[in-house]
Amino acid sequence: MKLNRVGDIVILALSITLIALSLGTYKDFSGEPEVHVRTDGGEFIYDLDVDTFATFEGPVGETTIEIRNGKVHVHDSDCRNKVCIAAGWVSSPGDWIICLPNNVFVLIEGSLDKGDGGGVDDTAF
Amino acid sequence: MIPRSKTNGRIEFIALLAAFSLFLSTVEYMIPKPVPFMRIGLANLPLLIGLGLLDSREYILLALLKVLGQGLVTGTIFSYIVLFSLGGTVSSAFIMYVLFRYGRKWTSLIGISIAGAMASNITQLQLSRLILFGDAARLIAPPFLIVGLITSVILGVFAERFVETSAWYRRALEKQL
Amino acid sequence: MKTANIRLFTGLIALPAILLQDNPFGIMLQALYVIVLALTHGRKFRLLPNLILMLSVSSAHLLQPNGYLIVSIGSFPITLGALLLGLRKAFTLIALLYLSHYMVTGRPEFPGRLGKVISLQFYYFDKITSGWREITPKRPFIKAVDTLMLNLTEEKAASIMSIGKDEVVFNRRELLENILHTVVLWGLFLLGAWHILPTL
Repeated sequence: MKLNRVGDIVILALSITLIALSLGTYKDFSGEPEVHVRTDGGEFIYDLDVDTFATFEGPVGETTIEIRNGKVHVHDSDCRNKVCIAAGWVSSPGDWIICLPNNVFVLIEGSLDKGDGGGVDDTAF
Repeated sequence: MIPRSKTNGRIEFIALLAAFSLFLSTVEYMIPKPVPFMRIGLANLPLLIGLGLLDSREYILLALLKVLGQGLVTGTIFSYIVLFSLGGTVSSAFIMYVLFRYGRKWTSLIGISIAGAMASNITQLQLSRLILFGDAARLIAPPFLIVGLITSVILGVFAERFVETSAWYRRALEKQL
Repeated sequence: MKTANIRLFTGLIALPAILLQDNPFGIMLQALYVIVLALTHGRKFRLLPNLILMLSVSSAHLLQPNGYLIVSIGSFPITLGALLLGLRKAFTLIALLYLSHYMVTGRPEFPGRLGKVISLQFYYFDKITSGWREITPKRPFIKAVDTLMLNLTEEKAASIMSIGKDEVVFNRRELLENILHTVVLWGLFLLGAWHILPTL
């Protein structure tokens, strides 16, 4: 190799570091939390990180879920008891909400844990 | 520091370099590639060689001509694709020129070539993330960058050799002093 | 407005109609129309690279699942919403690409000094490609390039004035055809925007 000047080596080293960092993104991709909704009409999947509304048809009418700020809840439903709405927001993999009358089952799948969310509330000491 | 005496001659000179860039991009086009997005960047050679021969405004013109020429010849000039080409070339040209102007003592054309290629690729990845692929662009980043690194090193080595041995280059250099 | 630039302007006017298209069927029809347009004016359409383009853009969008799960390949979900989004983006890109191809078939001339420099660039490009073929000892490489460049710089490009202007003969027909193209593309946009076309 002919002209190996200092700058060349520095730039080369920086570039290799950059590439190594970019390889790290491969790890993130599996296990991103998803919202799975199973109904009579089939299964639907949504990204937990993308804010959106989604409506599903069931035996008693429509059930709408809302995904916001990395959490999901049942926004509205035509069932009588509205138990599903009362269940509130969930955000951890493994959490679920169900609307039995309307046959809508909402489940969060994934392996990444969203930090401190989930079931542990303020356990004050 | 380059005398503006014969501006017409300069324009022709720049056009010649730009034409060479165009020629190289057609050569690259004919090289079969497994994945269409893997670019070798042969068309950047005149940009490397031109560093020692042009002042900043002329260099900008050269970069612009490179993008426009390529866009016209491939017919992509009014599509998304020319945006990638433009973004990549602008960022790359900027870094290369700055490095050459102020860092000539520390780095050879090889380092400059690498820096230019990295700048270009990163810009293009970001643009493709915004326009085409969304976050999935992160997935193609590593192979893209690796190929860019390797090809830019080869290109840089070639450019250094050329600049040292070419009679034409020496003549062009002399015409300005 | 010069004849050579009619197709250029048509493309520019039709551009928003393609960019703003939200409907997947709409953009597909627009893309097909534009591809035919490019094909009938001398450009080629190669299936493989376009297919690869569509596949990669669509699959990149599939990575962010959205909507109805059509089928799962192993544990990889293929969702309808993501698929449609990916297809729409892919078709938009292809439509723009071939529109752009069509726009340059008329050999448009760019105004002003920049236009002149570009013509000069292409003039030299022509010289380089023909000159390169004639240089017989192509090794050592740098020496060959050198000879070529030296030869070229000798040439007086006073012949920039004589750069052949391949005039496309002006005819009404060209103008009318292009008005038709604009109307069709915008029409398809409106059909999509007014939800007349199916959305799935």
